Order: sequence, then structure tokens, then C-alpha cells
Amino acid sequence: MGSEVRLQVCSCLRTLSSSRDSGEIVHALRTLTHYLEDDEFTRLHYTRALQVLVSAQSSHWFNRSRDDDEEIKKLWDEMFLRGPPDQTLLLLLDTISSTGESAGLERCVSVLEKFLSAGRLQVLLWSRCEGGGSYADTPQLREIIIGHLAALPSITSNHLHTNTPDAFLPQQYYPLLAASILDTLEKTCHALRAGRDCSLEFVAQVLGKVCIQGYSSQVFEILAPRLSSLTRVDPLWQRVTQRLLENIPERCTECVITGLIRCLSGATAASRLMGNLVVTNKKAQFVLTHKLLLQQYQHPTRLVKSVLGYLALDPERRMLLKQVLRSVCQVWCNSSAVKHTSVEQQLYVSKALLLCVALLTDSEIQELRQEMLQCMLGGVQCRLDSNIVRIRRMGMAVGECLSHKIDTPGSQLKFQYEPDEEIRELKSLMESASVEEDNEEHQPDASSSLQPEPKVEGSAGRSVTSEPGRGSDSELDSDDDLTPYDMSADQEKKESSPPRYVRDCLEALMSSDDADRVELSLQVLDSLLRKNVKATQEVSVQFSKVLLHLEDRFNTPRFHSLRQNAMVALTVTDIKPVVDYWTTEFYSLNYNLRQRLDILEVLALSAQELSEPIRNKHTGAQPITAVAAIERCDDITHWRQIVEKRIQSKTRRISKGGTQPVQAVPNCYAPVAGFFFFPLLRNYDRSQVTFDLLGSDHLVLGRLLHTLGLLMHLAINAPVASQMGRALLDFVWVVRFHTDQMVRRGVMFAVCAVFLSMPSENLLTELGDDLMETRAWLADVAENDCDADCRSLAVQSLILLDKNLKSQLQIPDTET
Amino acid sequence: MFAVACSDSIRRTRDSAVCTGKLLQNPRIKITDVTVVMSRPPPDPLYILRGSGAAVNTLHFCCGRDGPPFLYSGSGKGAIHVWNLTTRRAEHVLESHAGNSVIWLHTFKDSSSSLISQGRDMRVCVWDLSEDRSTVTDSLLTGSVGFSQCSLLESRPGSALLAHPTEHMEEVSVVDMRSWTPVCTLKPDSKLGMLMCMKMWQADSGPVLCAGYEDGSLVLWDVSHRRPFSCLKAHPEPVMCLDVDVCRQKGISGSSEKTLQSWTFDNQQNLQMHDSVQMTNPGVSQLRIRADGKILATAGWDNNIRVFGLKKLKPLAVLQHHTDMVNSVAFSDHQDPPQRLLAAGSKDQRISVWSIYSKS
Repeated sequence: MGSEVRLQVCSCLRTLSSSRDSGEIVHALRTLTHYLEDDEFTRLHYTRALQVLVSAQSSHWFNRSRDDDEEIKKLWDEMFLRGPPDQTLLLLLDTISSTGESAGLERCVSVLEKFLSAGRLQVLLWSRCEGGGSYADTPQLREIIIGHLAALPSITSNHLHTNTPDAFLPQQYYPLLAASILDTLEKTCHALRAGRDCSLEFVAQVLGKVCIQGYSSQVFEILAPRLSSLTRVDPLWQRVTQRLLENIPERCTECVITGLIRCLSGATAASRLMGNLVVTNKKAQFVLTHKLLLQQYQHPTRLVKSVLGYLALDPERRMLLKQVLRSVCQVWCNSSAVKHTSVEQQLYVSKALLLCVALLTDSEIQELRQEMLQCMLGGVQCRLDSNIVRIRRMGMAVGECLSHKIDTPGSQLKFQYEPDEEIRELKSLMESASVEEDNEEHQPDASSSLQPEPKVEGSAGRSVTSEPGRGSDSELDSDDDLTPYDMSADQEKKESSPPRYVRDCLEALMSSDDADRVELSLQVLDSLLRKNVKATQEVSVQFSKVLLHLEDRFNTPRFHSLRQNAMVALTVTDIKPVVDYWTTEFYSLNYNLRQRLDILEVLALSAQELSEPIRNKHTGAQPITAVAAIERCDDITHWRQIVEKRIQSKTRRISKGGTQPVQAVPNCYAPVAGFFFFPLLRNYDRSQVTFDLLGSDHLVLGRLLHTLGLLMHLAINAPVASQMGRALLDFVWVVRFHTDQMVRRGVMFAVCAVFLSMPSENLLTELGDDLMETRAWLADVAENDCDADCRSLAVQSLILLDKNLKSQLQIPDTET
Repeated sequence: MFAVACSDSIRRTRDSAVCTGKLLQNPRIKITDVTVVMSRPPPDPLYILRGSGAAVNTLHFCCGRDGPPFLYSGSGKGAIHVWNLTTRRAEHVLESHAGNSVIWLHTFKDSSSSLISQGRDMRVCVWDLSEDRSTVTDSLLTGSVGFSQCSLLESRPGSALLAHPTEHMEEVSVVDMRSWTPVCTLKPDSKLGMLMCMKMWQADSGPVLCAGYEDGSLVLWDVSHRRPFSCLKAHPEPVMCLDVDVCRQKGISGSSEKTLQSWTFDNQQNLQMHDSVQMTNPGVSQLRIRADGKILATAGWDNNIRVFGLKKLKPLAVLQHHTDMVNSVAFSDHQDPPQRLLAAGSKDQRISVWSIYSKS
């Protein structure tokens, strides 16, 4: 029997490959299609037959005779579409990837399209499913089939380039594949109901392969919602899905689970689909309890919510939830993690922690109270130590939430801070903790359609009731016939008049217990100091001392900005003595951090004001017009923004080719830049009882670096810039590997400023041997630093350095 | 600040009218209600009278008779100016009270040429100004060193009662002007502190005197029986000034704080709190109700003159002109309503004359 079939097939194939008579060809094709039902043929000769067909159609007989053409085409397609789909798929893909552009290739592509649209994928998948995986494949073959199935878009488009049909593109193919998988699963369900065995191993492998190649979202966008709704009603579907996930190969587990959870709408859906996978499968457990929560941080909060909710839903999994809480707590209170991970990741971990805590019951909290307390105390403390406002705030918010859960109402933590969007989101995580919330359908619609209605009703009701109120207002007993005049000019009257002399101000600020007088003095101080230059110079240092020690005793409105403006006014009016005073006091004993930071800010603002180009020469002693005073008040962000803007603009210009040279204009800062700059570098390593710059007071160090960078930048084109740059680089070199992000930001900022402001020839001689090391260091920071600001600043300084290098190296070229 | 005060008063209006205080909780609505209406800029003074040479302490109009309308002003240096409001010049300047501050001036209804003045030399003087004379015809030593101004009641032509403070700080003495015989002295039983201000008028039952005291109390005295009708603690601070609209049985008092308080009294002369309004700045030196009972004006320590509607104490205008505290306000007694004027005397030595809400 076997040999008979073989002989028949051989003769047909011979005819096909050699004959030029269409009648014969039709006959041979008919015979072959006949054999498609035959098991032996499909197993042994089918591939061979297809090969012949593919090669034959490319050679001679295909397009020749018009009358039999349709018949041949039909039979030819039938050969491909009715045979075993695995062999067809392999052969077609091989042909496509090995044939050059030709009519034959086109035929192959079109038949592959038909293959896909005819649902042959389902047949292929189902063939591996039914009968409990009895389908005898060698592992290699199986691997190849899976590979081809998963990578069809890549294989085809690699070869067809822009001619790839839409059906082969990932956007269309993977949803089709997903639909086929769904179909197969449905068939599986039917088979199971009918009492037949099925194996989901193959499907699981295909799914895993697709996901590991990065197409999980395309697949699960189709699969997840459908499975979610099917499992809602049918426990058998739940079993099938869970079985499918259990069969996913271990190395694909992560991408499959991540993709699945990302596309699911809530914890209950995840629980239905995954069952207790997390308990049985080690890999899944690792992914769900560790990797998704502690290592990755790019996922949306929704996903974290789903994962934790999934863990909380089943008593068996709740053990894991506790375990997760312990590990998250550990990470959260790890001070080294606070220092070395990015803010985004910390936010992510904080969210996970809060979500986790929100899911715990009271008894579980009591059980875990000790761990949580440790975590809270340690974590809040090391976050409060941080110089980054965002981290501090995050620490406070999380601390408050934890304390809210574990402490008695009387002894809960409470911090003072301005909540922003991020904090509000964090806090909201504690409230919306119910696992059952499964916002799949109807709910949002219903709420959105219901809400506006009562509002309308309410306003209508109000207007109705207020109408009679107005009407019943007795006409006889009112003053309505008298129309009032505009009374907007009616202001609160100030008791005392503002002081008119600098010395009066000084006296008021030194000794007065009169809040009004202090306020008025502060208000007029800025203009008074600038107007009376002589009087100011007489008392400038004394005044500086008073202002530096001035405290906001009366809660004066805008106290800090007024004081700062006055300090700046003093500095720019009597530059040398006041700057001397500031720089000396910066390193002296018994100041608090705030005062030292104030000094730095004042120096920076003064330098900035002095560096404004001199426009009017005749004003002599007071050439500086006040920078808009109101803007100046918002802390240091102002000048930093300005400088960063400048850096940005210059960087861009360089990359464009640097057509506009910077115009050098005389200013008041250049001659005195040294007074501002060098004294600040004098004592940094001499730690004192109250001030340890290189130790615990890294906040001041970061700010100092920023200020120095700014002073450096403002001294651009000044003769002293080279010396300043050299000194600053020396200083920076010492602290460049500081653990604090703020300090590193300051370092990068200072480096940028040096590269920007120092003449390039001096820069290169200065860097000299350290050049390569500097570059390596900058490149390392640009790549590896956990702080985004540091990275971008490092990139900028690299660009600036390269620009400097280029310009230096080009000079000899042009000269010779 | 103003918007709040304003909306407050409006809210009160609505609340009392509707009885359900919660109806209008959104103040925004009310503020816009008000701002829509109050677009008119406040008026400028009609004219300014300069040259009093010292702080103007007290003002008195005398416009009801033949001849030009006059405004009398008493200065801090004892000068009494007689301003002719037609020429807007001082017609006479009377040196009085031995250079001491003049704190109160008044004229008699029946004799146009008589003037009565009270000074810081503890005297009350009666002047004869007829035919360009300027002589003191009578003088009474009150012995008072307090703040209170006297009050004159002309019940019948030819007979007048004068209430004046005495050397006892809390005491009021009433004398008959014709014979200078004391009628009675009124002294509160409880400790109310110094007498601050008073006003006497004729009621059906006889002369009634309302006095404000240092502790913020108001006492309504029955002068004929020398006993108090009723007492009301109107302010937490001393009562600085008061005025009474006799027809409507309603009075207003000002204090050294921001609140202006109105009160009513019934036929049994029982005082009752009625209404109050908040001003932007504290302190009222004097307040006057216009004769038609529609508006009242206050002389504020904050240099401003404020005008309110009398019925609801609705703020109507803030007149800003003076550069120092306003000591005195007075409404003219013109027979013809559109001619009615408002005058204010200030520590800045000027007298501003205004025409406000006169056409109605």
C-alpha cells in the first residue's frame, strides 16, 4: 500500500516538474489533492509535493494556457490550504525567505495570506492540542514550528521589506494569532466537556515565544479582556486558562505574566485567570512578588494594584502578601537604596508599600507591626535626611500613612508640607484599597451619567428658594434707593509711616518690638539702600550683620524675600566690604544652615545683578537697576533656571555650528568676581563644631557648588575666569563621587559652568593629563547616575568639553 | 477687605429678611451683585475751607434763616471761624476760651445772632454776634475736663435746656439757659466710667437725654424725674459719639473700634440693639444723622468720612480727602433739600464741604 502511494506521487511530481501540457498537470494536481486525505501522503510526501509545486510554478507551466489557468490555480491553492498546516507554513516561510523577487514569490505570499485568512493557524494549534499532546514531533521540529509561528512578521518583512502585506505586520498578525489561540482554547473546553484529553503545552509555548519576542501587548490586548469575561462565568475556562499559564516555559514566564496583568483590568480578573499560579510556580512567584515590585519601576500604578490585590484575594496567597510587605519594607527603609536609586523607583516602591499596607487586615497589621514600625522609622529618617525635596516629601507622606495604620490616633505622625499631585496620589492609594473594585464595565458610565444630575437639581432648587427671599425683602425698610459709590479705595490704614533714613531702618530692625515698624522698614529698605549710596556705605557691614541675624518674629508677610532683597541691595551698593563679610561669615562658627544658605543665595543674586551689562554710564555709583524683585523671592530656583536656560541655549547653538559669537559687554561683576569666588573656596575642608561641610552638612555643600558654578558662569569673559575655573575644578575633583544627589548635581553644574566660561585653551592646559579621566568620569555619570538631572548635566558637559576640544584642535589646522 | 465687609452686610440683609440664614452661602454671588452696582467713583468735595490755622474740632451749620448760610467752626487754638458759605470765606474770627481748644458750637433757633460755645477752659460761653458784635454775654464754668460735648434742647421759643458735663467725670448737669439755674444732675448708680458724649431731645413725657459712657454703655435718662429709663451695653470700648433720629426712635453710636452700632428705643424708652456694621478701620470721632433720617456720616480716625444708609447701615461711600483724622462732621440745615451739605473738619486744619445724596 505504502509503496503504491509513493509510486503514484512520484509519477505525479515528475509530471508536474517536467510536463508542459496543462491537461496532464491538472490531472496530476487532482490526483495529489485526492491524496490529501491520505495519512501516509500527508506525513511523508506532502512537503516534497509542495516543494515541487513551488519550484514548478516558478519555472515554466504556470501562466501559459489561459483556459486551464483557473483550474490549476484552484488546485494549486487547495494543495496548500488543505494539507497539514505545519508543513505548509514551514515550507512557505522557507520559500519566501530563500526566493528572490519573482512571480513565484508573489504566489507564495498570496497563498500565505490565504493560509492565514482561512484560519489554518487554528488548525495548526488545535492539531497540537487534541489528543493530549500525542502528536509526534521531534523536539527540534516543534521548536522550529513554534519559532516560525511566533516570528512570522519578522521573517516575512525581513525579506519582503516594504512589500510586506498588511496581514503579516505585527499589528495584524499577532491579534490574529491571539484569536486563533482563543479559538483553540474554546475547542479545548469543548473537548474537555466531551471527556477528551487535550494538551495546552504547544499553545503555551507559542504564547511564551511571542511574548518573549516583545509582542505581549498585541496578543494580550485581544486575549486578556476576552478571557477575563469568559472566566467570569465558566469555571472550566478558569481551569483551562490556569493550565495554559502553568505550561508556559519558565524563561517566558515573566513576559507573559507582565503582559497579561498589564492588560487585565483588576485584581479579581487576575485571580480568575492565574489561580494559584504564584504559589505553585517558583518563577511566577519571583516575578510577581519581587521583580515587578522591587526591581522594575516602569509599570503603571494600576499594575501594582492588580498584583497586590491578586495576592490578597486568596488565603493561600495572603502569606505571600505578608512576605511581600516584609521585603518592600526592607527596601523602603534601606538608606543606601534611598541614595542610589532614582526618585521614580523610590516613588514606585512607596506606592507598592502603601498599596500593600492598605490591603492588610487589622490582625495582620498587628502581626507585622514591628516590621512596619522599623520600616517607617528608618525609612522616614533617611528620607528626611535627603536633600531632594521630592524624596523628603515622599518620606513624610508615606510615614504619615503608615503611622495612620499602625499607631493609635493620639500618637500618629504628622508632618507639615505642601501636598502636590504626587503626594495626593500616594495618599489616595491608602483609601482606594478595596480589592473587589473591578471597574470593568458599566460602572464608569453609570457614575458619569448620574453625577451631573443632582448638581443641576441643586442649583435649580437654590435659585428657586432665593427668589422669594429677595422678593420678601421689605422695600420700606431698606437703603436700596441709595446707590453706593465705589468703595474699593477703602483700605486698612497703617499706623506708622515708613522710615525715611537708612539709619532709622537699621535702628528699627535692631531694636524695635513694633511689628508695623519692622514691616515698613523691610518694605522700604531695598529702595532706600539703593537710593542713599553714601549712607548705606557707612553702615553696610553693620547692616549686613543685622539682616543676617534678623528673624521673622512678627510673621511679616513676604519676610524672606524682603530680607533677601535688602541683603542683595546692600551687597551691590557696597560690594567689597559686604562681600568680604558674607564670605567670612559663611565659614564661621554658630550659624544655622538657613543663614549659610541665605549667604549663598545673596551672593548668587548679587553677582547676577552685577553682571547685567552696564547700559547707562552716567549713573556712576548705582548702575544697577533692580532685577524684578518679586520674581527673585522664589528661592534659588530662579537663578538656577536662568543659568540652565543659558546653558541650554548655548549648547544648542554649539551643535548648530555656533554662528552667533557671544557679545562681550562690560559689567560690574567681572572686576570683583574674585572677591565673591575665592573666599568661598578657602575653608571648605576645615570642619568646625557647628559646621562640617564635607560631612553631614552636604545640603550646604550642594548649594555651595551651585553657587560657585554660577559665580563662575557669570564671570565669563572676565580675565580672572581661568584662575577661577582652575580652582573650581580642583575643588570639584575632591567631591565628585559624593553620595548625595544634590552635591553631585552641584558638581555637574559647576563643571558645566567651567567648561562654558573658561577660555578653551586654558581649559585644555588646565585639564592636561586629567582630560581622559574627566571624560571617562563624565561619560560614566551620564550613563549610570541614578539622578536624571545629573545625567543630563553630564551629557551637556561632555558636549561642551568636546566642543572645546574641537575648537582647540582646529586652530593649528587653520594656521598651517 | 471691603468686599467682605460689604457682602457681610448684604448677607445680614437677606438673612433677616428671609429668616433662613443658610440660603445664600456663596458669598461670591453677593459680591458680584454689589460690584455690578458700585461703579460710580466717589465724589470730590464741593469746596475746601482753608485757614482755620489749627485742627478743626467742631462744626455747626446755620443756614435756615435769611441772609447768607453760615458755617461755624471751632479750632484747636480757641478760634471760632464764621464761614460765609456764599463767599466761602471766613467772615469773622472770634478769639475765645483764652486760646484753649473749642470743642462744641451751637446756635439758637430763635435768635440768629447768638452762638454758644464750649471750650477746653472748662467754660461754656454765649456770644452775641448781632451787628458785627462779638462779645461774650454769658459764661458758665462747668469744671469739666472730660471729652463730652454739651447738648442743647430748645423745647419752646425762649427757653432752652443745656446739658453739660461737670467736674465729676460721670455726671451730667442740666441747666435752664434763661436763668442759668441747674435743673438736675444725672449720675449713674453703677460705675460706667467717664461721660463721653450725649444728646438731649424732647419726648412726649418730657426731656430725654441719651449719654454714652467710657465702658461702652448707653443710658437713656428721664431728665424730669432724674432717673434712667434704660441702659444698654452697646460697645466693648468707650462710646465716642452718638446721634439719635428722634422721629424713628433710632440711634447710632460709634466707638474706638471698627463697629458702628445702631439701636432703637420704644415708647417706654427701652433701649434695644438693632444692627451693626463693620468699618475697615477703627475709630469714629463723631457721627451725624441727616435731618431727613436717610443717611448718616461718620468722622473717622482713618482720615475718611463714611456715609451709610440709616435704615440698614448699608455702606454708601467712603470720602477720602483729609490727610489727618477727621474730628467732626455736620449736615447743613438748609430748608431746601438739594442744597443740603455735609461738612467735615479735620486735624489737618481743613474743612471739606460735600454735596452727597442731596438730590432725592
